Amino acid sequence: MPDYLETTVDKFIFKVVTDRLYSPEGVWALADGDRIRVGMTDFLQQLNGDVAFAEVKPAGTTVAAGDEVATIETIKANVEVPSPVGGTVVEVNPAMELSPEAINQDPYGEGWLVVIDAPDWPKDREALLDPQAYFELMKGQAEDEAKKL
Amino acid sequence: MSPDESKVVVVPCSGIGKTYGTVSREAAYEVTEDLRPGSTGLVALSLLVLGDADARAAVQAHPAVTIDGCKLACAAKMVQESGGHVAQGIAVLDVYRRNRELKPQGIAELNEGGILLAHAVAQEITAVVDEVLAGEEGPTHA
Repeated sequence: MPDYLETTVDKFIFKVVTDRLYSPEGVWALADGDRIRVGMTDFLQQLNGDVAFAEVKPAGTTVAAGDEVATIETIKANVEVPSPVGGTVVEVNPAMELSPEAINQDPYGEGWLVVIDAPDWPKDREALLDPQAYFELMKGQAEDEAKKL
Repeated sequence: MSPDESKVVVVPCSGIGKTYGTVSREAAYEVTEDLRPGSTGLVALSLLVLGDADARAAVQAHPAVTIDGCKLACAAKMVQESGGHVAQGIAVLDVYRRNRELKPQGIAELNEGGILLAHAVAQEITAVVDEVLAGEEGPTHA
């Protein structure tokens, strides 16, 4: 795993890797040129629990930033994952078909969801948070959740 | 039959207030009360957590089939920490993945999908119990 920031809230440990950008909803975007790999953050996957099924938009689907790019069914909820960027889905993680638990096991690595060809990445990225900003936001969200326990 | 007289003990997730925990307990009741009452006994996970002597003795004396509602696998871990042997661990989520039409909902009262999922889990437990009693123990997993 790349370098990460880490915090403990109640009995839970949350990590934010530092090599990518984040949406406030807890979706990460890792750029390789204009091809953006997308996945759920450690906080988002822990918040929603064990993944049962992942339905990801197929390759060729066009999405705008904020459009649903995947629906994740967990033991707690159905989670609609908003795309952090606009563009065309060009690759889907094949692991989502048979072993979607990869989202829980390795949210920043093997648990990625899709790769999106994002021609407006320079513009889209302006709406995303750097790791430190997301880390601070996530800590607040995690503390709010802990108060509900 | 009480656990200390059983040949196989069934230890379900305690997940109070959790749908998958309820499914695991309903499945355990079905096996121990209806499907294999003569050869299985129920051990409450909470008793193992509390270190209850009778519960510990039951899992130490007999192979255990554990049923877990989430990846924390508390039932399997507590049997092992209590000195017991997990003959096989069953994860409710794995059974659901094989039976997607049985989406469980509800906590105190399961929906139809949950009830049917509990039946499916109970059938898998029963198969394991029969294998254990026949000396064909399956692989341990949680």
